[in-house]
Amino acid sequence: MATELIAFLMFSSLLLLMLTGQRMFGVIGFVGVVAALLVWGDRGGFDIAFAQSFKVMNWFPLITLPMFIFMGYVLSESRLADDLYRMFHIWFGPVPGGLAIGTILLMVLISAMNGLSVAGMAIGATIALPELLKRNYDKLMVTGVIQAGSSLGILIPPSVVMVLYAMIARQPVTDLWLAGIVPGLMLAALFIAYIWLRCRINPALGPAMSEAERAEVPRAEKYRLLLAGLLPLGIFAIMMVPFVMGYTRLVESSVIGALAAVAVSWWKGRMTRDVWETCLRQTLSVSCMFLWIILAALAFGAIFDGLRAVDFVRRLFLDDLGLNRWQVLILMQISFILMGTFLDDTAMLVIVAPLYIPIVGALDFDLVWYGVLYTITCQIAYMTPPFGYNLFLMRAMAPDAVSLADIYRSIVPFVGLMVLGLGLIMAFPQIALWLPGVVMN
Amino acid sequence: MTAALITYVRWVERFNHVMGRGAMYGLIVLMAVLLYGAVMRGAGTPPIWTDEMAQFLLMGYFMIGGAYALQLGSAVRMDLFYARWSDRTRAMVDVATIGTLLFYLGVMLWGGWESLQYAIETGERRRGLWRPYMAPVKAMMVLGIVMMLLQCTVFLIRDIARLRGKVI
Repeated sequence: MATELIAFLMFSSLLLLMLTGQRMFGVIGFVGVVAALLVWGDRGGFDIAFAQSFKVMNWFPLITLPMFIFMGYVLSESRLADDLYRMFHIWFGPVPGGLAIGTILLMVLISAMNGLSVAGMAIGATIALPELLKRNYDKLMVTGVIQAGSSLGILIPPSVVMVLYAMIARQPVTDLWLAGIVPGLMLAALFIAYIWLRCRINPALGPAMSEAERAEVPRAEKYRLLLAGLLPLGIFAIMMVPFVMGYTRLVESSVIGALAAVAVSWWKGRMTRDVWETCLRQTLSVSCMFLWIILAALAFGAIFDGLRAVDFVRRLFLDDLGLNRWQVLILMQISFILMGTFLDDTAMLVIVAPLYIPIVGALDFDLVWYGVLYTITCQIAYMTPPFGYNLFLMRAMAPDAVSLADIYRSIVPFVGLMVLGLGLIMAFPQIALWLPGVVMN
Repeated sequence: MTAALITYVRWVERFNHVMGRGAMYGLIVLMAVLLYGAVMRGAGTPPIWTDEMAQFLLMGYFMIGGAYALQLGSAVRMDLFYARWSDRTRAMVDVATIGTLLFYLGVMLWGGWESLQYAIETGERRRGLWRPYMAPVKAMMVLGIVMMLLQCTVFLIRDIARLRGKVI
């Protein structure tokens, strides 16, 4: 059978089976092993699935995955961010739109302490959202702010999505994380500029805190809250300083970070039995879900390696269609965003792993840089209907005043800003590659 | 027959639950091993076994914990349609498609079993300084896959029972 036909059959049956709602890892693995058996028979087709587990085991940085997931859960379950929110609330409240801007900054700090967007989402939807609605902030803007802000969790290190990407693209995790910092801050700045501009034009969108309310908070309290801001910086420093100084490796730093988060929540008296249990159980359940999807995706991707499907795709784009490499990249990115709107990020990983990463490599693009583009595209996928973790979480956590239609409409300007960010990073790769270049030399 | 199936479901779930809870605490052991390695390296006497031990522990965490994670319902589904179906339709579709999981895990088990046999027969060791035997790790992985397979058969039995109007 011709390569392109096999590839086509694999993708179409994958999509079809996914739509039945069966567990994703099983469906991906099934299509993978059936194709392997058909192509290689029992002379090697059968152990491709199992062999992937050694690839996973031998990849040392994977140990950071459960650590950062655990850290994120400790952070959100023990409500360590409450004070942090209060700090931004008090300090930014007097400015029009200030609470929304403060929420973005809060999300940036939370992102520096966990690897997924769930923690930011939980904190944003349960603490910030009700507070902002009470103060007559425009609900469309606020809902968008929280979804967009929390999605920074996967771009700003530590990032679990980048760990997974690094494994598949065979790139150093550290480079990827460093590459994510400036783009992450840039996106945050774009969000803030947008909020500031909108509230300047129409102050009713984000009313400033009243004089009377401001007077209620004593000065001492204001400064005490500023200390709360040191907490995430402290955790981040305890984790990253020994790593940057070369005392610990990344994996060990992730352990230190997780333990630091536990220590702080224990010291604050928030580490109850229930919290401890939830954190451990959720970490296991999320980590295992990730691992089994990776195992299946690697098996699926191994078939593509074996078939040399990438050569075919590259020939199609470069020779037959006569496109240059930038046109190919832009086409890929557009198709990727479109896919992201109806696939979730784990499904995207399956598609990006066997097809896009080798093509990007073959086109002589930097895979670290592409990792940043990939992550931002995942952020967009998180937020766009019909699939998106953040959308689901928002639907589950938001107060009744926020309808589903509100949630869908709220993301539009922020997705626009993210696409703008993508464009900027494509046009100026230095935005992503400058920092790793400086640190690594 | 039904009574036997119910007993089977109970036992499989209990076993996976207990093993999975054990794996869950493995995370703490993993942290301890890594920290010990870092501290000893700082003291100038780097142990040769901690890195590989950590990798084995992580594999055990994932593999033995997998069935428990399935029990907790963590596996992602694409729920564009699934979310809108009634419980009965869901059960029907799941019965029809659970074969994909069973087949995939079955092929995993096939590869794992051959690999385990090889490791036992040849006394396979991992390369490097420590050179641990591979058989125990592979045995653990095979066990994890078997546990997941059993968990999937439990899902199948549950769904069939649901279609016949019973809840196990």
